[in-house]
Amino acid sequence: MPTGDELTELARAVAQAGDRSAFAALFKHFAPRVKAYLMRAGTPSQLAEELAQETMVNVWRKATLFDPARAQLSTWIFTIARNLRVDHLRREREVRADDGGASDALQASGASEEVACDDDGPDEQLHAARRDTAVRRALRELAPEQLQVLWLSFYDDRSHAQIADQLKLPLGTVKSRMRLAVMHLRRLLQGMEP
Amino acid sequence: MIQHHPSDELLLAAAAGTLDSGAAIVLGAHLETCARCRADLHLFEGLGGAMLEAIEPALMAPEALASTLATIDGAQAPTPRPAAPTVPAPLRPDLPPGVTWPRSLAHCSISRWHWMGPGMRWSRITVPHDRDANVFLLRIGAGKALAQHTHSGLELTHVMCGAFHDGRALFAAGDFDAADASVRHQPVLEADGECICLAAVKGRLVFDGAIARVIGSLVGI
Repeated sequence: MPTGDELTELARAVAQAGDRSAFAALFKHFAPRVKAYLMRAGTPSQLAEELAQETMVNVWRKATLFDPARAQLSTWIFTIARNLRVDHLRREREVRADDGGASDALQASGASEEVACDDDGPDEQLHAARRDTAVRRALRELAPEQLQVLWLSFYDDRSHAQIADQLKLPLGTVKSRMRLAVMHLRRLLQGMEP
Repeated sequence: MIQHHPSDELLLAAAAGTLDSGAAIVLGAHLETCARCRADLHLFEGLGGAMLEAIEPALMAPEALASTLATIDGAQAPTPRPAAPTVPAPLRPDLPPGVTWPRSLAHCSISRWHWMGPGMRWSRITVPHDRDANVFLLRIGAGKALAQHTHSGLELTHVMCGAFHDGRALFAAGDFDAADASVRHQPVLEADGECICLAAVKGRLVFDGAIARVIGSLVGI
């Protein structure tokens, strides 16, 4: 499996030289993960396949916008996949609501504007990369079961039930462990502040 | 100085993209004014990235890479989104001097100010892709009190300007509040200026008094 630095190098090659073999390597690593995430988040398999491909098309097109000083590559790709999923759900809802007509305004309105605020100042950007690294370090200190419940916030209820099943725990216990895992992560991160 | 921030749970849901549109709009307005919560949002997005690294990969279709490359070649320039349809300039009621609209409302239409009592006005926000979202603005004059109420579901509030005290705490510009059915409160405005709040409610406000109930049901919040 390629390391984070190797993946970042591949992304740079895509951005600077339109390197197709570098893109193929990124695709091989990320597309199956994005598809798995989308399915866990409740997206049917065929649609997850399409959105995973669309995510990778966006990775190609927006590669020059990726800034390794601001976030890890996997974080950046996660946000692309998440936004595509949210936009898809919205379009679906809009089409259902007015029978296929008049959804142009939505199409034009673009991606997930509410929480996608990129107005961080230079200081915040500097901190962003350090924090992303600190998160990875903190995660290494968590027990595997605790990690598994942390991911649940990104999945839908069916996945929650599956994981509760795997861990042989009642669903309610798993949900309270989710909150504990976030608190634990917070404490670890506070301990790492310079 | 912002005193009241959203919970980790809400920020994590925002990072995961699982908030409903009303909540996303109100939280978005807070994030625009709060660097600390933007940092937390990025932290939780980093968790999303780590999740992506840890997840058991799914199997892609055999022709997936080829078809993705074909899409890339087929449209070197990003497919132009259909030219922005000529939507009439969105309706925007007036705001006090110095107060600006949160960008999270950019795609919404906002009604004019409606009267809901002496010194109290409200405005309906329509979210184009989610007609069921119950999002509104309250504009309350200095020193006025809103009727005591509770909520049938979670109420999220972002203070755009001014300040009020609701028996639990003082909320001022930039502050964020989440109140559920266990909170029965009566926001009372500070004496020194009017207050505008952006709010999203799951369910409805439930007012105590008969008159307040009538007004509440008339305006549909």
